[in-house]
Amino acid sequence: MFRKVLIANRGEIAVRLIRALRELGIASVAVYSDADRKALHVRLADEAAHIGASPSSESYLRMDRIFEVAHTHGADAIHPGYGFLSENAEFAAACADHGVTFIGPPARAIRRLGSKTEARRLAKQNGVPVVPGTEEPAARLDDARRVAREIGYPVMLKAAAGGGGKGMRRVDTEAELESAVRDASSEALRAFGSDEIYIEKLIVNPRHIEIQLIGDVHGNLIHLGERECSMQRRHQKVLEECPSPLMRTRPELRDRMGEAAVKLARAAGYANAGTAEFLADDAGNFYFLEMNTRLQVEHPVTELVTGVDLVHLQLRAAAGEPLGLRQTDIRWQGAAIECRIYAEDPDHGFFPSPGRILHLTEPAGPGVRVDSGVYPGWEVPLDYDPMLAKLTAHAADRPAAIARLLRALHECAVTGVTTNLSFFRDLLRDPEFAEGRLHTGFVAEFVERRPRYAPDTLLDRLAAAVAAVHTRDTEPERPAADPLRYSRWAREGRRSMLR
Amino acid sequence: MKWHVMVDARMVEVDLAALPDIEEVEPGVYSAIAEGRSYLLRVAHVNNAHVVDVDGERLIVDASDPHRSAPRRRGVREGRLDVTAAMPGKVIRVLVSEGDRVEAGQGVVVVEAMKMQNEVKTPRAGRVASVRAVVGATAAGGDILVSIDQ
Repeated sequence: MFRKVLIANRGEIAVRLIRALRELGIASVAVYSDADRKALHVRLADEAAHIGASPSSESYLRMDRIFEVAHTHGADAIHPGYGFLSENAEFAAACADHGVTFIGPPARAIRRLGSKTEARRLAKQNGVPVVPGTEEPAARLDDARRVAREIGYPVMLKAAAGGGGKGMRRVDTEAELESAVRDASSEALRAFGSDEIYIEKLIVNPRHIEIQLIGDVHGNLIHLGERECSMQRRHQKVLEECPSPLMRTRPELRDRMGEAAVKLARAAGYANAGTAEFLADDAGNFYFLEMNTRLQVEHPVTELVTGVDLVHLQLRAAAGEPLGLRQTDIRWQGAAIECRIYAEDPDHGFFPSPGRILHLTEPAGPGVRVDSGVYPGWEVPLDYDPMLAKLTAHAADRPAAIARLLRALHECAVTGVTTNLSFFRDLLRDPEFAEGRLHTGFVAEFVERRPRYAPDTLLDRLAAAVAAVHTRDTEPERPAADPLRYSRWAREGRRSMLR
Repeated sequence: MKWHVMVDARMVEVDLAALPDIEEVEPGVYSAIAEGRSYLLRVAHVNNAHVVDVDGERLIVDASDPHRSAPRRRGVREGRLDVTAAMPGKVIRVLVSEGDRVEAGQGVVVVEAMKMQNEVKTPRAGRVASVRAVVGATAAGGDILVSIDQ
């Protein structure tokens, strides 16, 4: 096992990794930028080193500085966390050149699965379903008609050269196809200089479900079940859970998706932790999207339900130890739900709200896990992702987990920055959420029907009274103020001077 | 002593001589007992206003001592409106120049924070009196970006 591990990351994930290292008796080396000198991960690590200015391109993405720190501090491995350098095959390969172990999959597996087209090809070769569609652009209308008939309506037309919604058309029937192909082609030509069009099956209201994988270098590779991550805003996950509510009606789906993910990872020569992302529909169809070749933000959900510590396993696997777990050893107990607490304003399009955290109350009690990267007095920097903490609840079943997470949210409070806590309180009380009818457009729809705060005269009166008292007690004293309002320390001081 | 306190946009009168049962239990954290119920209120002073968290709700409260200052009307002067940065960020683009006519809801400055760009809009129509935002500069929350004569 390693003696000392450098953590090439920041925030809550760096704190999470330091905790695992300490549990295994391994020393930790934190790295930090200008903005992070006082960050929680720096406070908690055994050793720490400055690596540059606040922008990540000048610090957390600087391989040369990270390797330099690894050398001077004598680290024998590097954990990249998520984001930053975690899915950079070049970095993974360079670790070997610098004599340190990269805690993650082999560089060539990252390379093979990192390219979307390569990963899609590998999936098809191994019988893992992908969203049906054309690999090559549909040259003529006849081709488009034939392909659309094959894969079934509705279909989506996409510009081969582009993105960002330009040249995209939803087509529900064959009657609409001709004009849609014409419009999409000319739009694509204007936007990207190429009129080539792909056709893909449109998955209506899909769920986003992913499979957690873990493997060692001795050929053991297993899955730890699914996480449903359909709750997204701006294509970013905000709430994740295991089991997926879909498994209630389709319990066989976990094994089918798990086996597909294991097959694909095996074909890519995978080891260590990784996640295969899929779109799924209520009929039980699923389609491979992409592979995340790293630890995920939402890994606590899986840890709580399976009782497996993914970071411990990552460290053991990277050190060459066998996994010590077979697929049949994995059991899923109860339900876990995680919400990501961001410094952002849910009433104004989830816009980031940086600033100084003045007060922070973290929830506690049975079945509650907090993975936080902040503390009261911490200035949330402008330079990085505005996630403050993750709050995860684990209970016997989904309704109990929802109730427990709501209870934890009731205890949780952050002041100084605006957070999305109130959004989660409302979401978890939503009847449609409770029924588990989730899809990737759910949050956008929910925001529209989210109940607004109805002014309450008692709360108004209490808030006004508290603000007035707070103002009176915190503003500097007036010269002619009532002497009784001087602090006892001041009175004591004056008395001692009169003696 | 009676204070007039604004809670969101609602006026609430507070008599400091006849307060409800309120105790500061931690710095900035108040326990209130009212009508037999227990409430926890957290106060933070952010951008010249108090933000009070209670029951998961976030109320913007403007409480100023009536003996210290006349009630402030932030951002509004004689026919002039100051468009301010709601949060700290870097000025990416200035969309108007001095003398331009602007319509209510028109974007005037683009501010970036945490890799997200936000177009700051003027709430009212008028003529741009001055532009204080400088491209590339960092604006603090509450900083005046553009002033508009109505």
